[in-house]
Amino acid sequence: MTVLLTFNVIELDSAGQPRGPGAPLEIDETGTISFGSSTERNIVLEGELVSRHHFDLTVSDSRVMLTDQNSTNGTQVNNMRVGLAELGQGDVIEIPGWRLEVTSLSFGVSQTEATVSPQGFPHDVFGDDTLVDVGTLHSHGYPVEERKFCAVGGGLGSFTFVDHLRCYGVSASDIAVIGTEKVSYATYKRYCRDSQIPDHERLRSNSLSTPDNIWGFPGYASREAFGGLLRGRLGGFKRVFQVFGEPTLAESYTPRAGDVFDSLDREERRIDWPAMHRQGQARCIRKLSDGRYAVAYTMRDPSVAEADRRRIIIADVLHLATGYPATRFVDDFQTFIVNYPDHRHMVHNAYAPHDQIYDAAEAANGPVYVVVRGRGIVASRIIQRLHEARKRNPQITILHSMRSKLDPTSGARFGRARRQVRTNIEIQPFNWPKSCWGGDLRFEYERADVAKRGAMLTTLGGTTTAERSDWIEIIERGTEEGWYKPVYGSIREILPHDDSPDKVMIRVEGEGGHRAELIADYLVDCTGLISDITRSSLLNDLIETYALPRNHAYARNGDGFEKRGPTGLDVTPDFEIEGLRNQRGRVYASGTVTSGGPYLAVDSFLGLQYSALRSTDHLVTEGAHGVKNLGPLRSAGQWLKWCRGAKP
Amino acid sequence: MVQGGETMIPTLAGRIQTRLLLFVLLGIPLTALFSWLWLPLYWDLLFLFLLTVLATVTGFGLIMDVVYIGLQRLRWDRDWPFAYQFFFSIVEFAVVLWAARAGLIPWLPADVLAGTEGLIMASSHFATVFIPSFLALLGPISVFFIRWRFKAGQLGKL
Repeated sequence: MTVLLTFNVIELDSAGQPRGPGAPLEIDETGTISFGSSTERNIVLEGELVSRHHFDLTVSDSRVMLTDQNSTNGTQVNNMRVGLAELGQGDVIEIPGWRLEVTSLSFGVSQTEATVSPQGFPHDVFGDDTLVDVGTLHSHGYPVEERKFCAVGGGLGSFTFVDHLRCYGVSASDIAVIGTEKVSYATYKRYCRDSQIPDHERLRSNSLSTPDNIWGFPGYASREAFGGLLRGRLGGFKRVFQVFGEPTLAESYTPRAGDVFDSLDREERRIDWPAMHRQGQARCIRKLSDGRYAVAYTMRDPSVAEADRRRIIIADVLHLATGYPATRFVDDFQTFIVNYPDHRHMVHNAYAPHDQIYDAAEAANGPVYVVVRGRGIVASRIIQRLHEARKRNPQITILHSMRSKLDPTSGARFGRARRQVRTNIEIQPFNWPKSCWGGDLRFEYERADVAKRGAMLTTLGGTTTAERSDWIEIIERGTEEGWYKPVYGSIREILPHDDSPDKVMIRVEGEGGHRAELIADYLVDCTGLISDITRSSLLNDLIETYALPRNHAYARNGDGFEKRGPTGLDVTPDFEIEGLRNQRGRVYASGTVTSGGPYLAVDSFLGLQYSALRSTDHLVTEGAHGVKNLGPLRSAGQWLKWCRGAKP
Repeated sequence: MVQGGETMIPTLAGRIQTRLLLFVLLGIPLTALFSWLWLPLYWDLLFLFLLTVLATVTGFGLIMDVVYIGLQRLRWDRDWPFAYQFFFSIVEFAVVLWAARAGLIPWLPADVLAGTEGLIMASSHFATVFIPSFLALLGPISVFFIRWRFKAGQLGKL
């Protein structure tokens, strides 16, 4: 026996309540187990809302991974909708009508079995070698595809990199992309929707941060203005004035989510994204003996036969942009979910689907107390959404939980400047000071040594929200009318309320040990996602196999800054992972997997474009992979093609 | 998950390079065009004069750039909004025009710029150069120089 995984499988009624104590399910062998409503699945879970093939569990001798199979209603692990997640003891999988609790999980190899090497894809191809002999790759019978460039991730990070390659003149037939989602913005859009930014709402992004256009021109503001003009409306010119006046004369312009997604659709078609894209999950990456790399992946494409889904791509250059791996909640939140599964509907992470609380709060015929935790942009948006809900139920009260009071002069300081504070919240148009993207702070940070980088990272980062007059007005009016109350202090514990089981009790400890208890109907945690790249088995395997160095977080400690836990992968200013160099072969990365590195704003549209530009230029400079420079004339020529919608 | 950014946010080197780039690419040809339209017979003389005015405004701007960078460092975002760019460009021109008309700039004869006529000509010329240059800053420069916006207004590789 190498593994023992046991579940308690509980059927739920339409209100999400357990129908009974549940039934045990035991898995004691490695391999892939499929779940869904079709009788072809290994485990059949009946229900109208269950997809025929809902999710898979891949059990190896060291970990259990859950992969959602593009199910219609999604798979949640610990209340977070996931595409891919690693399971641990105490985790709770939920799909409509069913809850599966991981009651135990243990890995153990007995003496007799220890000599048997783990079987299955891709270990059967790669073995234990860090440098795989290219000659043996073809002998295993899996389809092998050879390309010059391969982008792993398939999200916006992969897209911006591939868009640069294409605009620099690389042919689509030289590029392959591996991604679990069909369109590049699918994951991003899901996060937007869950954090209450539907298509008609605006993103916190600049007009000229255009992931569909490598030049940043024309920006979304002028496109909106001219689009409006074509439909006979002049209102769009307000947007142009915003860009002109921001942030001094007007609020900063931000584009509508739907407009950004439409523009990405157009660019995907223009650069032949569908032809380059392989829908699947990258499993493992290895250096090859001839200076290239092999990426083993499993296809997700339902039109491909099960037996034919395991494949290998060989490429000269790789790009890794896998985004947030399995996301993790803050500890107190996680503890509550595990200890009180029956009360889970009361606490939600703002990035996970939680529409039901607004529906329930609106429908309630009495007072509803909602604790909103955190003071970032998502908290602002959630408060705005609750304010909208108050139109249906005026008895909704917002308790805004913040660590400490912030008076107008206690904003972060850097150099001779100080961050503005309004209504206890630090104000900043975007998630980093603007000059981190391309101004003097970018240069200063790139040149800084590790200690100074830590200081800058800590000081310039931090939670901020945008200065929106409607948000400030909601808080001011709510304070005046008594339905918005700030609560200061750290949350110490979240518990079900003893006397009324449909309420949650939140213990808060303020400065000077002052304690308070909040009794509420719901808690919406807006403190964000914790990105731990080792939760991605692909990245963790790379880090372990090639001993890749990591960046580190920093925290203020008295007057200085101290090093904290590891964050993203260490990359060069060109976003190359140097530890993966293989003769002429190069591996680049972008996005959140590189956080804490030589660039602050990696996790943004413009940051992704910056990294893509650096990496593509690096390929040009090295001259080994046939990427031609994009000088002024070629650049203008490519831009004209973009304007005409012609292929690059 | 939030996004951000802005078009080019200059450093001192970036300000200087962008100013010189716009002077060469837009200032010189637009001044020639303006002179030819304004005074077809003596356009070459007018061109040389107006180019001297433009060079003086640019030179004054280069000195002012040091001041602007100082102000920029007081701003949390260390940015330079388009509105500031617009306003201070006009101020730079107005200061040079006033000084020239007062006879304080030896290489710019006050009589050429004197009276309403001189004022209208100088202002029209400035508008002809300034408006396209300002619009170019809003994005079109990136069409040719794709790294410019990430390099704080400097040219060349990142």
